[in-house]
Amino acid sequence: MPRRNWILYATMFASLALGAAAWELAGHLTSDAFWAPLSTTLKSLGEVVHNGVLLRQAASSFELYLTGLALAVVVGAPFGVLLARITWLRVALEDYIMMLYATPMVALIPFILSMMGFGFAPKVLVVFLFAVFPVLYNTVEGARSVRPELIEVAHSFRSGEWALWRDVMIPYTLPFAMTGIRQAIARGLVGMVAAEFFLSPSGLGQMIMMGSQNFDTASMLAAILIMVLLGVGLMDIGLYLEKRFAAWRGYNP
Amino acid sequence: MTTALASLAVAQDRQGGPSPLALKAGAGIVLFALWEITVRALAPEYVARPSGIAKVFFSVLTDAGFLEVAAATLRAVVQGLAISVVAGTAVGLMMGRVSVVEHGLRYYVNSLFATPMVAILPLVTLWFGYSADTRLAVVVFASFFSLAINAADGARSVPPEFLEVARSFRARPLSTIFDVLLPSSLPYLLAGLRLAAGRALVGAVVAEFFVSIPGLGYYILYNSRAFKHNEAFVAVIVLVAAGVGFEASIKWLMRRYMPWSRRG
Repeated sequence: MPRRNWILYATMFASLALGAAAWELAGHLTSDAFWAPLSTTLKSLGEVVHNGVLLRQAASSFELYLTGLALAVVVGAPFGVLLARITWLRVALEDYIMMLYATPMVALIPFILSMMGFGFAPKVLVVFLFAVFPVLYNTVEGARSVRPELIEVAHSFRSGEWALWRDVMIPYTLPFAMTGIRQAIARGLVGMVAAEFFLSPSGLGQMIMMGSQNFDTASMLAAILIMVLLGVGLMDIGLYLEKRFAAWRGYNP
Repeated sequence: MTTALASLAVAQDRQGGPSPLALKAGAGIVLFALWEITVRALAPEYVARPSGIAKVFFSVLTDAGFLEVAAATLRAVVQGLAISVVAGTAVGLMMGRVSVVEHGLRYYVNSLFATPMVAILPLVTLWFGYSADTRLAVVVFASFFSLAINAADGARSVPPEFLEVARSFRARPLSTIFDVLLPSSLPYLLAGLRLAAGRALVGAVVAEFFVSIPGLGYYILYNSRAFKHNEAFVAVIVLVAAGVGFEASIKWLMRRYMPWSRRG
């Protein structure tokens, strides 16, 4: 068995080394406008780290991302749980929520641009719109899985409204809300870059754009590489959150 | 269908209160009324509102130019999805069954899956120029990785007994793939396709924003810049209809032909 593990690590290492070599080679074989070698990309990455541009732009991006995401969670999750409790409201709204969940929110960016112009608020709105419906949709899905028997039992034991929320509604819907938050983390990132591209340029999106406008492929690739790492890191956080609460999931036929 | 709805309504009536259908319709009326009133009271004249959209809806939908751009976008989405389905399934099945491939590609596939596709737009534009090829490439990028990941999950989940039986009957490798591996991982592939279709639609729209080629996304951009929000919103409705329609048909396919699968 240890021998097998060793082989797997070797394959992984070899594939990463091969990828790096291919990146480097592709940069030397094609024109600068197409692809930059890994070494040049890393040099340009070092430069933006050193002169503080990366830190400043990343901070600006994070401010936008976290504001939008936090708003989405704060609005989406409680509203979803509320729909879990008020059945008629859930029945009335769930199809519309499903429809909005399926709407490609990027399509609304031009409207937001022409109504709200540039600035921070419209960009936050974009991130919020990307992120809120996954949270809401999944929480409502969870709401449907709350078995009415549980509420009946709670009522027979003369449970108060607050105790009912604390012991039944929230624990039951939380794992589903977490699935929604995982999706929101990923979609919000897409929303962030889209807002930084198509509304007023700022943050990491602006770094990618500037690289492409100046035909500075190395700095564009450096910014994209950061974006990839950011995406991977955020996805891991999302998966961790989802797994952490998955055990709470009730029987869901 | 009608009888099911009727019995549902009867069941609701026994509990008291209005039927679900009436509730949904009522909620729709309330939502549209709220939209209409808010826009009329607070927003400028050009902002989209239900009555304005209804007024232009049919004239936009029957406009030859609009149909052309809608067809261009949807064609690119279908083409891109077709490429991704073939390539993604091939790569995914290999990843699921051959551990060297799995360990060699896992990092690349997972991290590119997590990458927001908008971020690679400038790069793809450098490669393919301001043309429809850029849109196709973005659609493929947006959809490929979710298909590959789901195909790999599907291939991993194939019960080993199936493969053993295939081996005992000396099945040729090709027929093992097409008769055992593929059918067995089909529910996963369709789940991946559902995810991929949504992403592909978004990819097509952002690509059109970015490189300004005729399509639904560019139609929205162009008309909202010209302050024709009602017309632009019709394109949004078409996008939503395409997304929901695709999702619903895959759900139906899974329920109709794969009742054993619980994914979906």
